[in-house]
Amino acid sequence: MKEQLIQYLAVPMLQIAAIIGVMLLCVMYLVLWERKLIAFMQVRMGPMRVGYHGLLQPIADVVKLLLKEDVVPKAADRWVHLISPIILMIPALACFAVIPFTGTSFEVGAFTIPLVNYDVPALTVTSWVADLNIGLLYFLAISSLGVYGLVLAGWSSNSKYSMLGSLRSAAQMISYEVPLGLSIVAILMLSGTASLVGIVEAQQEAGHWWLFWAPLGVPLLWPQFIGLFLYFVAAVAETNRAPFDLPEAETELVAGFHTEYSGMKFAFMFLAEYLNMILAALIVSVLFLGGWLPVTFGIPGLSELFGNFLPFLGGAGAAITGFFWLALKVFLVLTVYLWLRATFPRYRYDQLMSLGWKWLIPMGLAHVMVTALFMLLRG
Amino acid sequence: MLGTRELEINLGPQHPSTHGVLRVKLKLDGETIVESDPVIGYLHRGCEKLGENRNYIQTEVYTDRMDYIAAINENLVYIEAVEKLLGVEAAPRAQYMRVILAELQRIASHLVWLATHALDIGAMSVFLYCFREREAILDLIEGYCGARLTTNAIRAGGMRLDFPDGWTGAAKDFCDEFPARLKEYDTLLKTNRIWMGRTKDIGVISGEKALSYGITGPCLRASGVNYDVRKAMPYEVYSEMEFDVPLGSVGDTYDRYLVRLEEMRQSRLIVLQALAKMPEGPVMNKVPKRIKPPAGEVYVVNEGPRGELGVYLVSNGTDTAERCRFKSPCFVNLQALPELAKGHMVADIVALIGTLDIVLGCIDR
Amino acid sequence: MSVVQRPELSLWKRLFLVELLQGMAVTFRHWWRKPTTEQYPKERPKILPRFRGIPKLQDHPDVEGILCIACNQCSIICPDDCITVLGEPRTVGKGKQAKVFILDYERCCLCGLCEEVCPTTPVPAIFMSHEYELARYKRVDLMNDMKELYEPQPTKEYLK
Repeated sequence: MKEQLIQYLAVPMLQIAAIIGVMLLCVMYLVLWERKLIAFMQVRMGPMRVGYHGLLQPIADVVKLLLKEDVVPKAADRWVHLISPIILMIPALACFAVIPFTGTSFEVGAFTIPLVNYDVPALTVTSWVADLNIGLLYFLAISSLGVYGLVLAGWSSNSKYSMLGSLRSAAQMISYEVPLGLSIVAILMLSGTASLVGIVEAQQEAGHWWLFWAPLGVPLLWPQFIGLFLYFVAAVAETNRAPFDLPEAETELVAGFHTEYSGMKFAFMFLAEYLNMILAALIVSVLFLGGWLPVTFGIPGLSELFGNFLPFLGGAGAAITGFFWLALKVFLVLTVYLWLRATFPRYRYDQLMSLGWKWLIPMGLAHVMVTALFMLLRG
Repeated sequence: MLGTRELEINLGPQHPSTHGVLRVKLKLDGETIVESDPVIGYLHRGCEKLGENRNYIQTEVYTDRMDYIAAINENLVYIEAVEKLLGVEAAPRAQYMRVILAELQRIASHLVWLATHALDIGAMSVFLYCFREREAILDLIEGYCGARLTTNAIRAGGMRLDFPDGWTGAAKDFCDEFPARLKEYDTLLKTNRIWMGRTKDIGVISGEKALSYGITGPCLRASGVNYDVRKAMPYEVYSEMEFDVPLGSVGDTYDRYLVRLEEMRQSRLIVLQALAKMPEGPVMNKVPKRIKPPAGEVYVVNEGPRGELGVYLVSNGTDTAERCRFKSPCFVNLQALPELAKGHMVADIVALIGTLDIVLGCIDR
Repeated sequence: MSVVQRPELSLWKRLFLVELLQGMAVTFRHWWRKPTTEQYPKERPKILPRFRGIPKLQDHPDVEGILCIACNQCSIICPDDCITVLGEPRTVGKGKQAKVFILDYERCCLCGLCEEVCPTTPVPAIFMSHEYELARYKRVDLMNDMKELYEPQPTKEYLK
């Protein structure tokens, strides 16, 4: 009983706390990286004043947001106005439960907590909170709940700009859910499982990332590139990022659905947006780029060499290496995200819809068919 | 009590993309614009009345502040009107200097237009790249007259000062470097499918309709009407310059974009020609220190970056004008906004405000 | 007169997103360029010799006493009426000199006309200085009398 309580209650609690803490820190520095990278691409410097080259800027931002007055419009629906940032935030955080951050589990031997003399039995700590066998479905289901937050935020603010923004975002997120789902069907077929851990393990077994899945042994025939492209475009649209940032198009709708938000409520919306970005990058890395597998995975010799940087730490070393590779992949994917924002103009509402329905969905369907065909041919 | 109503929304005067304090009353059906009504006057400072209360030298200072993006062009047209009243001509070297500065200012003004237009449509980097180039031009202008925007550089009878040492070299360097930069903008925008989608067939206006609205400048030429004051009624030394007047074929936002970019290339050519042809000599003709033109009236037009700039002056023989009237191209061009915007979407209205290239200081005066 | 060409995307460019990738290459190249930004209070901008900052008064070693002759030309030409000059007989030599000289920076538009009309030799008594920081805590601080007009403004140096 005691073992089970610790294994299934205390450990997940600690994991959840660690993930939330690390992710909030990641968001803070992702914002800084965004500002810096876009500044570099625009021959500017970005934040320079707080800390060395602005390294403490995120902390200053957080302090500012915490201390800011919370303004609620007079005609707003106060309660809905209050809960909509929370509705946005919770699904964004909940999705992290199924993400495998690294492959190897830590074995923690039995020890006694000093002072209270509480004996803790030997444990196995995984890098994921839960390895659901419907992990991918769970992700799709939970992440799409966030749209309620946007709609309610726009509606409850009682502002025309907010309402237009939330209407746009509702339409956008619902339409792009479909190509998002279609683009990962092929991965499900290849892996034979919906568990995110299972998908990475399937890639390990296959000996290459799903991105480099070359049917019939032809190395340049990479149908999963289309899958990656589709997923990436749909994910950019899902997270309302440029060039699909219509719901918060600052030159049209001032700030879209969060026009009337300030202080911590605004910070929550901001956090949710960036958490969703990180989440999308994590899913790309896990599905297409081999998750915690090293970048050189599949190349004979190099694969083992970069599989464990810290062999003297044993299993923990492998775990840390895996985590490092995943973080690197996520960082690169996020950089591409920001790069897009620095380069492209914004789509218009109707163009976005026609891109989604007329191009991405047929492409997604065709992609599933082609992958299925190749799998059949291989037998 | 269920029913459908059009959504009325105020775009501005505090809005990120109305280029100043323009307010547009929009009636929306969903995202589609049913009606749009520009409301102006938030930046009215009574420049015309000031022109009737200050003497001719002082009024030039106010012309800087009308179209603050292209102050030299405003200076030039006002001083040309004063010179016409006085019956004097500018010194030959000064005429070339005026052309050089006016064309550099035109490039700078078009760069601001491109920057803000691109930012409105969401291309963030173009904004900063354009401002970097504009900064180079403003440095040239500052090196010449001491101020970046409010130049107050031109005087009746010539120019206040000659170019400082090394100025012409720096201007040539800029002209040499500029085409490569324009090519970068083309890569980022001209062939970009999102940009084309956002600008093609948006706000189409035919040449006839544009003429009946009185639209001038690049907006008129994009509709295919060949009218450029520099060619039609050459002033200063424009008759000696070889340049091309680019015309559009469709009259949509994309054509207006292409025409302005081509105009920047042509302006660069004019600057290079004028720099090569510029004679030595004094920059100022003999003009009485106190300007007291004989009674009479003049109307002078110039080709500003936004269109036909006009100044109407009535002199009563004193050092202050009896009547001073500025014809603003932005004001006339803005009239067409409701016509252009009808049936488009909310996102297009910012593209349209951008494409008309309005400066509220010029509209409200 | 010539009609501008409207480019059309060819099919392969459309299919392989060539122009989007070219655009991304432009921003990528800019990533490695040197920033053009000036870190303003830490880095003072380079001031060109003709720069028109706020007007100030100056004397000249060749002229004994105050250079300004209180001719009132600057206050007449000023479009914003921001200059007030009162004269008194010169302490050395003939003519007048300024007794009171008040410049209201709140109204000054930095047009430079006062410097242009100033008749004193060898240098104009009122001149456009290279100072440009005009922020004050009180409006009255922008009214400058003769003493303040002679003194250069203190500038705070910031560490880089």
